[in-house]
Amino acid sequence: MKNRILIVDDSFYMRTMLKNMLTDAGYDVVGEAANGQQALEMAAATRPDLITLDVILPDNTGLDVLKGIRQEQPDVRIVMCSAVGQEVIVNEALESGAVAYIVKPFSEEKVLEIVGSMLQQGNDKSDTSAEPSATPEAGTADTDADTSSESTPQA
Amino acid sequence: MRSREQEYREIFMAEALEYYDAMSRHISELEKNPQSEQPLNELFRLMHNLKANARAMGYMDLGEVAHRMETIFGLIRSKEKAFSGSITGVLFGGIDTIGAMIRAIGENQELPNAESLLENLERLVRGEEPILTDEEVAVDDSRKLELSDLVYIQIKKLDHLLNLVGELIIDRDRIFTLGQEIGNPALQSAAAHLFRIADELQYSVMDARLVNVGSLFNKFPRVVRDVATTEHKEVNLSISGQDIQIDRNILQIITDSLLHLVRNAIGHGIETPEERIKAGKPPVGEVALEAAIERDDVLIQVRDDGRGIDVEKVRSKAVSRGLVNAQTAASLSAPAVRALLFEPGFSMAEEVTEISGRGVGLDVVKLAIDSMGGQLRVDSELGKGTTFTLVLPTSIAVKGALLFELEERSYALLLMHIDSVVSLWPEELHVVGGMLLAEVQGENVPVVGLRQLLHSGDEPLASADTEELIGRQDIIIVNYNNRRLGLIVDRFLRQQNIVIKPMTQPLDKIDLFGGVTLLGNGQVCLVLDVPALTRVFLAKRP
Repeated sequence: MKNRILIVDDSFYMRTMLKNMLTDAGYDVVGEAANGQQALEMAAATRPDLITLDVILPDNTGLDVLKGIRQEQPDVRIVMCSAVGQEVIVNEALESGAVAYIVKPFSEEKVLEIVGSMLQQGNDKSDTSAEPSATPEAGTADTDADTSSESTPQA
Repeated sequence: MRSREQEYREIFMAEALEYYDAMSRHISELEKNPQSEQPLNELFRLMHNLKANARAMGYMDLGEVAHRMETIFGLIRSKEKAFSGSITGVLFGGIDTIGAMIRAIGENQELPNAESLLENLERLVRGEEPILTDEEVAVDDSRKLELSDLVYIQIKKLDHLLNLVGELIIDRDRIFTLGQEIGNPALQSAAAHLFRIADELQYSVMDARLVNVGSLFNKFPRVVRDVATTEHKEVNLSISGQDIQIDRNILQIITDSLLHLVRNAIGHGIETPEERIKAGKPPVGEVALEAAIERDDVLIQVRDDGRGIDVEKVRSKAVSRGLVNAQTAASLSAPAVRALLFEPGFSMAEEVTEISGRGVGLDVVKLAIDSMGGQLRVDSELGKGTTFTLVLPTSIAVKGALLFELEERSYALLLMHIDSVVSLWPEELHVVGGMLLAEVQGENVPVVGLRQLLHSGDEPLASADTEELIGRQDIIIVNYNNRRLGLIVDRFLRQQNIVIKPMTQPLDKIDLFGGVTLLGNGQVCLVLDVPALTRVFLAKRP
């Protein structure tokens, strides 16, 4: 089965770009949410494998959504999306269980590289019950990779 | 068709203008109510989005302005700065500059210089006083009010517009013909102009109703997943042709049909993973949803690589259901047998499953497609899979038709239902079992005089006799549900786009006619309904 991805971003433009990139690469984009409330509802309804989550959302901050979703679905891989300038929130997100982040404006290669490796990691874990990978993953290179790995749930 | 870059640019512009409007609103609100958090949060978020989108589009100057504005709003939000004094002026000016930059992008013009604004924003971050020029201090009262370039419109209003255009086209044709009859050059030239304008208007209205097929297709990943889970199948869905455009109402009409076909493909087509492995197939079944353009039509296909349709099973089932007698059934070709699936009441489901066995058969799908002059075809290979093809008109307004004459009256048949047009000498026709047969493209096609078909009342058709045919016969080969039928008419007239009007009582009780259209000379022309003609022929043939 194709990996299922939920896109959360309040900009229609960003959602369209991400959706095209991911769909072209063969992923199944199961939904697009434009605010925190929608994100929580759609995550519950679609049970995606991975969520791209914008840091700044109209009703909630992305962080509240992150925590809300992880409480319900500890296994879902969450990749934060943010423009530069929000490093503080991004760091907090990684500490709260996000697995990686992407900086806007992003290139297609970067998005696919990060999404691909995060899903791979998720699959490895659930397939083999291996130890969580301690190697810093793509996109977390210049943040605290250890923190993010530690808070990744084990299968 | 729009390229992706163009699409991105249009979305960017629409959203940027929307952001600009919202920013202007929120900053005025903030000025009235500096302690209010909501407008401040919104300003911060909108700047952040604009920055990210502008940079993604490569508009770095705009991105930079939005970035520094975002920083200041961030500082105000964290109470490190206050929204008062000179900051207010710089931020109001900043939003004006952003508006001007967005407009310049929209008009492909050079972006206004934002140097002094950027420097002032920098000074504010460092805690210095901004340096405002007289121009910046002065309140700009020459401000233009900008409205968004996009409007949302109710489909109801577009329907009304389309109906009016239909009326206009009929009157236009009438005036055009009058002009020629009267022979007045001034009237003729005015009519010719009206002709062109009306054509363009019709095209524009039709164009405004077009939506991407993707807006429907994109709902299917979820459907497929749910159905596959319930049916304990593993299915991979692929989608293509999302960018193909079609009239919104046609898309609406086929929504349920497509849902039904996809559910069928998973419920009846795709085998369980165990069965697939036994049959030497990969365990995960493939379902494809594809749209393509073919001439003036839009083709939508639902394809699966499942077990395929067992023609012999369908054949015996059709006999047991009394749809055909055993003798006829034995003589039917495979495509003709598969076409029986669309007969009312035929259901292939051996057991009722939760998803696909609700008693709604393919006949309902067929009716929906017929209702707008489309076609439904099925193709299948046992063990390999099945493909359903919906042939749909791009627009519901105007349809291509062939006009012909019968007993000095004009009739029309939709091109969609016409396979070919032939002229044959009586010796080229054979009589088999009282029925005329013509060989068309290597296949024997039954032929009947349309006159006899229309006038026979409740009586069965009389046995055919080639002796009664004099001279070359103009025959229109129509196709309905993989059944071909030749109709002998008096004379072919021409091919023409027509606007079909539903018939008023009591004529519409006669179901052989799908509607009427008015010709340029004011003559009423009946549009014959091919599905109904085929049914009448099958019921009455000798």
